[in-house]
Amino acid sequence: MNNQTPLAIDVRNVTKTYAMGSLEVQALSGVTFTIAKGEYVAVMGPSGSGKSTLMNVLGCLDRATAGSYLLDGVDVSELDDNRLAEIRLRKLGFVFQGFNLLARTDALKNVALPLFYAGVPGRERTAAAQRQLAEVGLGDRARHKPNELSGGQQQRVAIARALVNDPAVLLADEPTGNLDSKTSEEIMALFATLNARGRTIILVSHDEGVANHAQRIIRLRDGLVVSDGPPAGR
Amino acid sequence: MIYLEEALRVLFANKVRSLLTMTGLIIGVGAVIAIQVLGSSMAGAVNGALGDMADNSFIVAPNGVQGNFRRAAIKLTDITAIEQDVPNIEQGIPLGGQNFLVQNGHHQARYFLTPDSSQPFNDSPLLYGRRFTSNDIADATNVAVISYRSYQKLFPHGGDPTGRSIYAGIHRYVVVGVLAAPKRGFINAQFGGDITIPYTTYVNQYVHDGVAGAARFIVADASRMNLTEIAVMKQLKALHGDQKGLQYQTFDKSQLTKGINGIFGVMTIVVALIGAVSLVVAGIGVMNIMLVSVTERTREIGVRKAIGARRGQILAQFFIEALLLCGFGCGIGLAIGLSIGWIVNQFAIVKVTGYVAPLPWVESLLIAGAFTIVVTLAFGTYPAYRAARLDPIEALRYE
Repeated sequence: MNNQTPLAIDVRNVTKTYAMGSLEVQALSGVTFTIAKGEYVAVMGPSGSGKSTLMNVLGCLDRATAGSYLLDGVDVSELDDNRLAEIRLRKLGFVFQGFNLLARTDALKNVALPLFYAGVPGRERTAAAQRQLAEVGLGDRARHKPNELSGGQQQRVAIARALVNDPAVLLADEPTGNLDSKTSEEIMALFATLNARGRTIILVSHDEGVANHAQRIIRLRDGLVVSDGPPAGR
Repeated sequence: MIYLEEALRVLFANKVRSLLTMTGLIIGVGAVIAIQVLGSSMAGAVNGALGDMADNSFIVAPNGVQGNFRRAAIKLTDITAIEQDVPNIEQGIPLGGQNFLVQNGHHQARYFLTPDSSQPFNDSPLLYGRRFTSNDIADATNVAVISYRSYQKLFPHGGDPTGRSIYAGIHRYVVVGVLAAPKRGFINAQFGGDITIPYTTYVNQYVHDGVAGAARFIVADASRMNLTEIAVMKQLKALHGDQKGLQYQTFDKSQLTKGINGIFGVMTIVVALIGAVSLVVAGIGVMNIMLVSVTERTREIGVRKAIGARRGQILAQFFIEALLLCGFGCGIGLAIGLSIGWIVNQFAIVKVTGYVAPLPWVESLLIAGAFTIVVTLAFGTYPAYRAARLDPIEALRYE
């Protein structure tokens, strides 16, 4: 790992505690790691390991109970909801397992949605969304609605939507969970291409085969990082 | 605007549901506007009908519900006495009417022949000629001022009829004036006939026992009309021996207008109540469907939040959806209400009163607009607020 590269993510001693009735459940018990810009990292772990919680914290959907989190140089651990929304808008791109595109809305408008929330004027939105769709190989499907697209194509649209605001980090949560193995390979190839162009990607998966596409795997168990390094066999 | 576009898409994706939700608003707004249109055209028609009655005159007559009606009947001598004794009275004339077949050659029709004075009962403008002069009154000449309606019937070839004669019963009258096309209504039909002759002539020819029945008075100062009316009624009772149970009543324009406005005041309250109830019922429907919409789209809201929508932006989206729902509902209601009002106005009120009331566009638009805004604010805000407050993690996990 090159220490000269600026950090995309700097997580120090992050804990997250949920109150379940009178019981306190610690989902993260002090997690520390950094991710440099341009890295391609997979987060793995069995269910209950704190994987989802870490994903929510990294995605600024949730705040850590303690510890600090710097995203692209900004301390986001103390921000209020609207500031977090702003961070999600500008610095993060989400890709979900279930694609989560707006139904009855064509690919172009789906991709342009974050630009609308960012206050970009209409014509620029369309142009930027069209460019982004072309980048994921769907330039000719801009006017298709989600139900007219295959699963792989829908996920590409979702990736284009995640990237359209040029975020610092692309967060993908089981992005191939709903896809067959051939389509999964295509999506993983797309991630590899994006990473090769300099995108910082964090992939959450329980699938070793998928995680092995990353340069580095962070493994969690019981809310702690148990291993952090390149995939086996590299 | 994306919010509008998305809201439209949602409303049209659930056409039946949207329409059912709007029904309450359509009926409520439709009813209120229809009644409002009818009310204003009725008021216009009535005011139009009253418009011909001179402001400074009032009528006094024995009240219909009393035992000794003959005894109460106003005599010609009463009128003279009141003219002399009651202050503010300028002139008094008997009121009455004779139904005759009125003829001009072979053009003929049945009309009411009524007395009038040089200070006319009906102050509508003249089409031809003149009104009665004080000479006509003093000399009790055989002249007539006729209504536009009777002019059309008796002189179907048009032209200035002044100087021509008409016949009623055994008498001949020379036409000296024609009233312009009237804002006719029930008041004139009751107190002013189509053919008027000088009251002195009327008395000479038709009042033989000195009993006029009812009378009309012109006052000098219209602002003291009420007091004058009371004084006249008191004087009448005195003149008739102040018998117990002797009752008189008066009519004047402001009194009638007041009465009619009172009726419309009650109607306005009723309409407002209907409006308020339908507003609440329709609003609950809107709120219900918006809450359903928020719940159905919890996941979508989660996604929107994840990709960076702020609370205000989610709020705006659902608020505009509610606004559009209410706006459509009230818009349809407005159209239906105006149509109903217009149809009734055209085919009923105009037939009865002859008065064409303009549609109250501005008021109707304001009512519909106010409904839209009030219902949206009162019942669309909470669902939108709930959507905006959703926790993104929970929302994304929602199945």
